[in-house]
Amino acid sequence: MRKKKINREFRQHLLVCAGTGCVANHSFEIKEELEKEIVRKDLQDEIQVVTTGCQGFCERGPIVIVQPDGIFYQRIKKKDIPHLVEEHLLKGRPVNDLMYVPAPEERPVPKMMDIDFFKHQRLIILRNRGRLDPENIEEYIGFDGYKAMELALTKMSSEEIIREVKRAGLRGRGGAGFPTGKKWALCRKEPGRIKYLICNGDEGDPGAFMDRSVLEADPHSVIEGMVIGAKAIGAHQGFVYVRSEYPLAVKRLKIALEQAEAYGLLGENILGTGFNFHIDVVQGAGAFVCGEETALIASIEGRVGRPKQRPPYPSQAGLWGKPTNINNVETWANVPMIILRGAKWFSSIGTETSRGTKIFSLVGKINNTGLVEVPMGITMREIIYDIGGGIPQGKEFKAVQTGGPSGGCIPKKMLDLPIDYESLTQAGSMMGSGGMIVMDEDTCMVDVARYFLNFTQEESCGKCPPCRMGTKHMVYILDRITQGSGMPEDIKLLESIAENVELASLCGLGQTAPNPVLTTLRYFRDEYLAHINEKRCPALVCKTLISYVIDPQLCGGCTVCAKKCPSNAISGEPKKIYTIDQAKCTKCGICITVCPPKFNAVKKVSPAVK
Amino acid sequence: MINITINGKRMRAKNGETILEIAERSGIRIPTLCYHKDLTPFGGCRLCIVEVKGRKIPLTACTLIAEEGMVIKTATPRLQKLRRFTLQLILSEHPNACLVCERESDCANFQECIKKSAVTFGCKSCPQNDNCELQDLVHELDIRSIPFQFRYRDLEVERHDPFFDRDYNLCILCGRCIRMCDEIRQANTLQFHHRGPDTMVGTAFDLPHLESGCQFCGACVDVCPTGALRDRFSRYDKPPDKSIKTSCMLCSIGCALNINITGGKMTCSTPRNDQICVRGRFGIAPLVNHPKRITKPMIRKGGQLVEVDWEEALEFAGKKLKENRNRTGMLISPQLTTGAIDGARSCAHSLGARIATPISLHSLPGIYKLSQIQGQVAFFIVNTDMVGDFAVLLLKLRKKFKDKAVFIVIDATRNSSARFADLVLNPRPGTENNLIRILTDPRKILNKSGIPAAAIETARSLLKGRKIYALFNAENFIPAGPSKSVKPVPLHSHVNAEKIMKNVPNDTYGTLLKDKKIECLYLIGAAPKLNRKYNTLIVQDLFLPDFDCDVFLPAAAFVETDGSIIDLEGKKKQVRKALEPAGKSRSDEWILANLVRVMNSKLKRSVRAKKSKNGQQKKLVRPSAKYPLQLVIRENTYGYRSKPLSAILKGFDRMRHDRYLWLNEKTAKKCGLQDGTYVNVVSRHAGFKLPVKIDPDIPDKTALLYYHPSMGYIPEEPVRLECIK
Repeated sequence: MRKKKINREFRQHLLVCAGTGCVANHSFEIKEELEKEIVRKDLQDEIQVVTTGCQGFCERGPIVIVQPDGIFYQRIKKKDIPHLVEEHLLKGRPVNDLMYVPAPEERPVPKMMDIDFFKHQRLIILRNRGRLDPENIEEYIGFDGYKAMELALTKMSSEEIIREVKRAGLRGRGGAGFPTGKKWALCRKEPGRIKYLICNGDEGDPGAFMDRSVLEADPHSVIEGMVIGAKAIGAHQGFVYVRSEYPLAVKRLKIALEQAEAYGLLGENILGTGFNFHIDVVQGAGAFVCGEETALIASIEGRVGRPKQRPPYPSQAGLWGKPTNINNVETWANVPMIILRGAKWFSSIGTETSRGTKIFSLVGKINNTGLVEVPMGITMREIIYDIGGGIPQGKEFKAVQTGGPSGGCIPKKMLDLPIDYESLTQAGSMMGSGGMIVMDEDTCMVDVARYFLNFTQEESCGKCPPCRMGTKHMVYILDRITQGSGMPEDIKLLESIAENVELASLCGLGQTAPNPVLTTLRYFRDEYLAHINEKRCPALVCKTLISYVIDPQLCGGCTVCAKKCPSNAISGEPKKIYTIDQAKCTKCGICITVCPPKFNAVKKVSPAVK
Repeated sequence: MINITINGKRMRAKNGETILEIAERSGIRIPTLCYHKDLTPFGGCRLCIVEVKGRKIPLTACTLIAEEGMVIKTATPRLQKLRRFTLQLILSEHPNACLVCERESDCANFQECIKKSAVTFGCKSCPQNDNCELQDLVHELDIRSIPFQFRYRDLEVERHDPFFDRDYNLCILCGRCIRMCDEIRQANTLQFHHRGPDTMVGTAFDLPHLESGCQFCGACVDVCPTGALRDRFSRYDKPPDKSIKTSCMLCSIGCALNINITGGKMTCSTPRNDQICVRGRFGIAPLVNHPKRITKPMIRKGGQLVEVDWEEALEFAGKKLKENRNRTGMLISPQLTTGAIDGARSCAHSLGARIATPISLHSLPGIYKLSQIQGQVAFFIVNTDMVGDFAVLLLKLRKKFKDKAVFIVIDATRNSSARFADLVLNPRPGTENNLIRILTDPRKILNKSGIPAAAIETARSLLKGRKIYALFNAENFIPAGPSKSVKPVPLHSHVNAEKIMKNVPNDTYGTLLKDKKIECLYLIGAAPKLNRKYNTLIVQDLFLPDFDCDVFLPAAAFVETDGSIIDLEGKKKQVRKALEPAGKSRSDEWILANLVRVMNSKLKRSVRAKKSKNGQQKKLVRPSAKYPLQLVIRENTYGYRSKPLSAILKGFDRMRHDRYLWLNEKTAKKCGLQDGTYVNVVSRHAGFKLPVKIDPDIPDKTALLYYHPSMGYIPEEPVRLECIK
């Protein structure tokens, strides 16, 4: 195990983000280059380079933060490094060119805490992100790590712990929002000596990476939460089920577990209290349905990941038939703070029914793509405009999809909706795991519904006909609609299938799969009607319903589009007007991209067909 | 007891009862499809959903355990709508043309024959028409149309395995076949493949059932609610109009069977209470209806067998037997009713004839009542394929002891019980008793078995603290003397073995055929290979023997007669006449009684046979330079009367290859042999020709043979192989 010398003589620290996004963007190479440059300038005794977990502002990676200055550098490339080291670290002059400039302004914002994206966030779960090396337990301990666990194990009884969590009002962050304290109490009261604890790190929603970031940035917070939960419930064995598509998270978790055991904070006789609790890591195998708790349990048992009808619930008979408590990564990560700072403090954040904060992954048509942690009750408008920086290229906001393939879309008229469990469900969507996919005027809502339904249909386990075939038939209908063969009775049929699938399916996957269809029908029915009755796609997305045309009044005859067209569909003579042969056109969109901005002659159209 | 309310009515329920169980016993109808009373509830088909007060989403009644105060509704309009929706979805992937056609009733009068089409496109061309649970549910829920587009899976019908076809275009993925194979039969051959809409039922790696450990017991076929799995022999027949109970006579277990009859023809046999094996399930109907079955009495005239009437045949036979008084040998099969065996004994006695059976080893001390096996147990399975030969018995034992019994296979060659056993030991042929002693005797014993010390240690640790029982077919192995630590459970594969051991003299076919004084043979259900001429051969059976006979008396099959049998545990069971004997065939008892009448002999009181000796230990001769291969012989238990099943039914030949010589690759290569090549097998006292079957589980320098008396005299001594040019 690496032991880092805590040297108070370093005058500055360079924190290099090493979340998966930045790593994919070569942040490890950035780190190496920084270290080399610092040695070249003989600064290695004064400046230390540390890798941290995900900073959250993934749009702007690779990210380097200089502390204690608090200067935020973004989109760092290897070639920027000599200049950066020379100017900022040697001469004390921060480099403006590498700083964040919020669109559409022109002046950079040097300090991290002044950047809108970070300013409006409230970091509780992600409190340690970006400020410690997740592969070094001592840094976690240095930030009050494992103090809550010590309190729980030495000064509190199991009942007191549960009471505190109940009073805090913590609700499951995996999607359903079941009160966590209540869940723990149900498991605790089951008879039997053997009980299990599971951390659900399957995070299957496309576009969701909250749990990944927590595991990569601060795995100890999850471990600490689990030990406290184990004491509360009376379990001595825990499992973290991580999807195998998260190799970095698995690696950091395993290192953290090893270190925790070595320090006597996990395993036998934790902190000398006589309490034993072991954690094993189990990796998933590529099935979205294994995020469902009974399927997850089957997967851990080595069986096929297929859900079982509940009741009995896992708290009564779960893993290997024993009482089992499953919570999401984010839920576990909340626990240490609740114990350390108290339920009163925690319940002061958020709304009446939804206490605390929630991590959202803000993706899609948004300027500031990344991970944000905000108190519950914040409005959608604040997230999208204040934190997210609004829609790029000045486009109109259309809708935001929350809860991934199990959730629904929130339209513009509901932008002031406060984000909490109840209001989202009432609007037809759900909190889900926290994915927020922003859509603008160029998004076709029917296509969105088709995309999500395609996903759930592929991931269906196949056990029950309503989900297995109901979703498939909904996809057939949506395919027809987006390809121009929609029929007037399709909407009614779609709605009736959707309602029935919701009620007749065995597990949460099937029960929530129709949500995207139902909400898009509720708020964007006109788009469906346009597709069906007029064979028109208002957002100009559905390939079969759009055509690319050259506006004869704008065309300059520059020949570029004809040369670039891969299907030789464009014809004309230089300096004369060009035309696109619709029969050959494959709608790849290259012509619209290469047409010079001064002409801007290629247009996408979707005329109504009677 | 718990109080709940169903449909407004107060009911009492036992702890642990599901809502479905309560409803069924109270006469409340809840439709089901994937539910089966013997299998764990699946909750997959969603048809049995019920509304539970306080819950938004309906729950499946088959999985829902009743709790105090539950309020349930089983038949609201909302539930009906959901059930119809679900069934319509199922039908969108199942050839449904006929199910919702308004001309259904007209069609019935005119389209009988299209059932024989290659593709099932609707009920009329499906073998399960009028016998299908899906059809019944469609009528019950009154489905007149299906609003979903139809998706035909377009899978090829699987016909390459014996006995039953699989048309997965009709499968509705209820999972019953999988759970039946896993939970009840414990063969674990089937599972769901893929997921979502591509889910399909199949074997591991889509291998044929012959290579997947399938025992072809037909349990999956019997629980399939649609026509996806169907018995090949009865495919084209209408559902049975009669079902008669009887006991199976194909082995000593004597399972209870239903003989299903349509229009006077036996179409198939199915299990009545418990389980049966491939013989009882797929071996009887094709046998009884076999085209090569002879159902007319015949006498050889002018070198040819000619049909005659019964009186003439009996007269002729009776005359010949009386002429050969004191020079006749009677060979009888144990697969006769006890009445027939008694009849044969009296006949033999009045003729002064010797009588013989294929049972070579008589009573062995041991446990015959299986209920005596109790406690913390371990089983040795010695030289016996329990899965193949005593499947139903094995299931009973595994069910009784669940996962708590230890099974150790001790067999020099291949044994399909290795699939589930805790440990498999392959000692050198003939050293089984030595190995058993080593495993159970704490003293130091010289190890002649060739099993390494590590395996012995593993075995010993498995056996610690357990009562040990040795299961073995008495024809394949004789335990060495009484042992304190191992209790023998001798299993005779022949029905009526106990009766024969008690009442019939200790003669085997082999000894009788060596008797030079015998000039005439009367063969009842027996046709061993003969090695010399006899002046008269009288055969009483269903099929012609491989040699020329003088008189053929057609016997009725066991489903065509009344009688009794004695099973493995010595219990008497009834055999019932389910249908009239085919053609002019008659029961053995009738033939014997009338033969005696015709011979006009007075029946003297039969003399009790001498008390038989205990089985002798077989001394195994070691191979030599001249005969380098050790020949291992195991009894072929798949036979009916004179014929091995594989000789008359192709499915059994493909499944068992039990009329082959089994060698491993190395041995076969030495003589340039391949699968199916014929080879001459020569030993000191015998010679015969067989095709070869190559299998990796045969040890080097060894050849395996499954023995049936129709093969003639084959001693278990070393052999050499001679290529046939």
